[in-house]
Amino acid sequence: MAATTTIEPRTAAGAVGPRRRKPMWAVVQRVLQYVLMVLLALFCVVPFAWVALTAVDADGGPTVGLPAFTLDNFVRFFTDGATPRLFLNSVIVSFAATALNLACGVLGAYALSRYRFRGRRTFMFAILLIRVIPPPATIVALYLLMVRIELDDSYLGLILVEASAALPITLWLLKGTIDAIPYQLEEAAWLDGCSRFGTIRRIILPLVGPGLGAAAMLTFMAVWGDFLTPLVLLQSPDLYPLSIGLFRSFTAFNQVDWGVLAASAVVYMAPPAVLYLFLRRHLMRSSLGGAVKA
Amino acid sequence: MRRNRVLAAVAAGLLLTGALTACSATGEGGPVTVKLLQFQEARADVVKDLIPEFEKAMAKKGRPVKVDLVTDILTDDQFRTKITQQFYSGTAPDVVDMGGSNVTGMAGAGYLLKLDTYLRTWDGWDEYYPSVKKGARQRDGSYYSVPHEASVQSLFYRKDVLQRLGIDTAQPRTWNELIARLKKVRAKTGEAPLVIPAGTAWGGGSWTEGLLPIVAGTGSTLYDEKSGKWKLRSKGLSATFDLYADLVEADLLPVRDLHNPNPWEPTKYEKFPQGTLPVAAQGSWGWKYDWGPEGAAPIKNSREKIGTWDYPALVPGTEPAPISGGGFGYSVNADAAHPDAAVELAKWLSSGKALARQLTAVGAVSPRAGLADTAPYSNEPSLLQAEGKLKSSIQPPLGDGEDRVSQAVQSATAKILAGEADGSQAADAFAEEAEQLLGSTRVAE
Amino acid sequence: MTTVKNPAARPTRRRRERAALPLLLGPSVLLIAVFVIAPAAYGVYLGLTNTQLTGFAARDPQFVGLENFRNLLGSADFLESLGRTGEFVLWSAIIGQTVLGMLAALLLRQKWLRGKGLFGALMLLPMVVPEVVASLTWASVLSSESDGTFNRLLGLFGSGAAAPLQEYPMASVILINVWRGIAFAMIMFQAALEDVPDELIEASRMDGASALQVFRHITLPLIRGPVFLYLLLTTITTVGVFGLVYFLTQGGPGQDTEITSIYIFQSAFKYSQIGLGSAASVILLILLTILGMTYARLAKVEV
Repeated sequence: MAATTTIEPRTAAGAVGPRRRKPMWAVVQRVLQYVLMVLLALFCVVPFAWVALTAVDADGGPTVGLPAFTLDNFVRFFTDGATPRLFLNSVIVSFAATALNLACGVLGAYALSRYRFRGRRTFMFAILLIRVIPPPATIVALYLLMVRIELDDSYLGLILVEASAALPITLWLLKGTIDAIPYQLEEAAWLDGCSRFGTIRRIILPLVGPGLGAAAMLTFMAVWGDFLTPLVLLQSPDLYPLSIGLFRSFTAFNQVDWGVLAASAVVYMAPPAVLYLFLRRHLMRSSLGGAVKA
Repeated sequence: MRRNRVLAAVAAGLLLTGALTACSATGEGGPVTVKLLQFQEARADVVKDLIPEFEKAMAKKGRPVKVDLVTDILTDDQFRTKITQQFYSGTAPDVVDMGGSNVTGMAGAGYLLKLDTYLRTWDGWDEYYPSVKKGARQRDGSYYSVPHEASVQSLFYRKDVLQRLGIDTAQPRTWNELIARLKKVRAKTGEAPLVIPAGTAWGGGSWTEGLLPIVAGTGSTLYDEKSGKWKLRSKGLSATFDLYADLVEADLLPVRDLHNPNPWEPTKYEKFPQGTLPVAAQGSWGWKYDWGPEGAAPIKNSREKIGTWDYPALVPGTEPAPISGGGFGYSVNADAAHPDAAVELAKWLSSGKALARQLTAVGAVSPRAGLADTAPYSNEPSLLQAEGKLKSSIQPPLGDGEDRVSQAVQSATAKILAGEADGSQAADAFAEEAEQLLGSTRVAE
Repeated sequence: MTTVKNPAARPTRRRRERAALPLLLGPSVLLIAVFVIAPAAYGVYLGLTNTQLTGFAARDPQFVGLENFRNLLGSADFLESLGRTGEFVLWSAIIGQTVLGMLAALLLRQKWLRGKGLFGALMLLPMVVPEVVASLTWASVLSSESDGTFNRLLGLFGSGAAAPLQEYPMASVILINVWRGIAFAMIMFQAALEDVPDELIEASRMDGASALQVFRHITLPLIRGPVFLYLLLTTITTVGVFGLVYFLTQGGPGQDTEITSIYIFQSAFKYSQIGLGSAASVILLILLTILGMTYARLAKVEV
């Protein structure tokens, strides 16, 4: 399709002569760019067709088909068997880990921004380097360590690990945000008799909103989507989050309920997708680019 | 003061998460609780029905036991990973129902309770077939599981299909004879006629249901029980890898299907029932688990449509023979809080009517004599017939490190399937990888 | 890289405020030390032992020095997994994501282009969904059944059904990872392109330079730093890809998609060779460090 549009106008443009060639060529270029845009967008979206269609299909299979429309799959997801538990586990772990991550992150970032102490720069640099370590490279030792300290196969262990894994990015993001808050505001608060923690709560917290939001989202999405850590750390089906639940039901041969599986996938992808699409513009600028450019 | 409030909030957050983990812990009074893990649905379903009977029987004896059945449906590989982790971290259940190949590694690591004294005083143990006992005995001479099933590995074939194609259905004496017949089938149908589990996608099956029965028939020693060492190069192994290469070369194996992530689906569940792939290397559970009326892919009138051959002779001087394929057994956690009750459960589930019902549910052969008249097992002629073969079957000896050998077998056979190696190259690759995984101390010169 | 603008001159701290520092920074340091640094260090130690989870060797792990490393470097399986990881990174991250992401970013820069908002949003979708969902969608697209999306597409060209995940497993997972990573490249390049003044490009176009020439000689040199930084980040991320591939193929068929992250997981947990898996992790980390320093040197990024 793209190939034919390329060739035809080009020969036509050549025949018209040099005077009209330029605007003609410009039009062709614009058309080509639109074609490219549509193709790229299709490439990104088409794979979701199956999930979207099968989730509302009464008798969906492993491949795309026109659905016999029903919302039954979602009803079953939230009422049947083990799936509500999966959802609940994902929610518990993601929210708790994000909260812990932010609590530590705000305090830590404040210290990194407002205090000068020996090793501060080294520390900042060290936690930046942590990003270089891919999770599969430490997961083996992490598992044995967690067994040693008896935190494997528990909410607490998973929450602590997830909160820590996202902490370096949170610290960097929030430090940047706090750096931008005028110091005079805090001094004024001190004169009014606020303590150090008081200023953090009254002055800093209201002003780090955007940074905090970005950090919260990045952490939440990382935890919500994580597959490897719960796969290794958790053994009790009662604790499985959605990622593991989906994997288990996908690999359970001969007894895959495709409709519910697709519905689970929709429920599972909805929170990050919605969050992202709403806050996209903000995120593109501040967090991702910023975290990297910093 | 304000500082305290922030700290209190952080502390409360930590406590809250702590409280959440506490939910999974259970407290119990009264009867002792035994946790039993099942990872296959068919087994879990039948055992679930049996548990109340066991509890009743124990209550009558004045030793009340409550059985807590944990059902987690997993593939073999997922189960192995999971149970290993649980044993390692000390969170494994009290009784685990698993295949014999898993027991070796777990017993070696000291995770399982030694059952010798319990079995010695149990009259049921005397009824077990010698080959089953031999299969369950570990290298240190002890037992770490109560086998509750046995199986016989054979080549299942579609009698109706082969007859229609005009192919001889008598027991083939040698592999060459069988290959000649398979080539005729291929010429007529244009499709690969034989499936032997091979490659990595089939996982442990490529070893226990694939290569092991073939090698066992060659008479070459694979594992020397006396020295506890593996013999990774032998005439039998070379002949077996050559056989795989020949089968692939002649397009007799469904290579593409074996690459499927669930290779049993297109082969055993689709093409064998359809009749387009008429021969399958298979354990006796195939009668029920795969092709029985409630199996994964039912075949109607299976007794009439399916027959079994013993594995043909591969090397000169051997005879066709059925191979004993082992089965699941109940193992008890070495750290079980109530080992006596746990063993009692294992024994009870391996006896009488409870045993008969499990055997029927999964299509296993009885590991002990005296069950032929116990319903519903007594209504299973295919299984009873296989039990008859059990007495004359070859029991391949196995020892510590079997999972490593299995891994090497999977990747070596995968190389043949991918066309990356011929028979002797695969045999070399197997020997090298297995030695590397086992460590040189566990390999015979 | 670490230049931070100090918004205000900092007056000297009152001494008693110092006491708050451990309270502020302590929790973060503790968490990172215990759950990030300690496992990395512990992994190095484990790599020097023959720790196993099953078998007789599990009872009493021994210190074996560099034996695991010797075994790995002589093992075809491990070296091939490294090769596959390299292939995976090269084709999916360095070539696929970069080229398509750059195209998307350049498109988003065109003032006359309509529908950019929707386009940008759609491009983000593959990145924001959890990796398990990404795998699941592609499992259906690449299904070997004749009504899989990909096979229907083939059908349009009159070709018979294929089973891409079985027949071209590596190409399939590379394609999937390209798909997943376009958005990240796009965002990074979009940010970088903001620093390229429009006037400069328009002026060169006036002088008769083709779009390609402008990109090569004007745009690219200006965004070189961010591009290399992106390459570094995407390389690290791609080496760490696990779930996407594991979900679909578990390293198979055969070992065709057994990239190093899967090799590590399988040897440590499926075959319970903790020592071997840890040693493989250490080798992977060393390689990544070397790679990171090379990128940094090439891009002349101040570290």
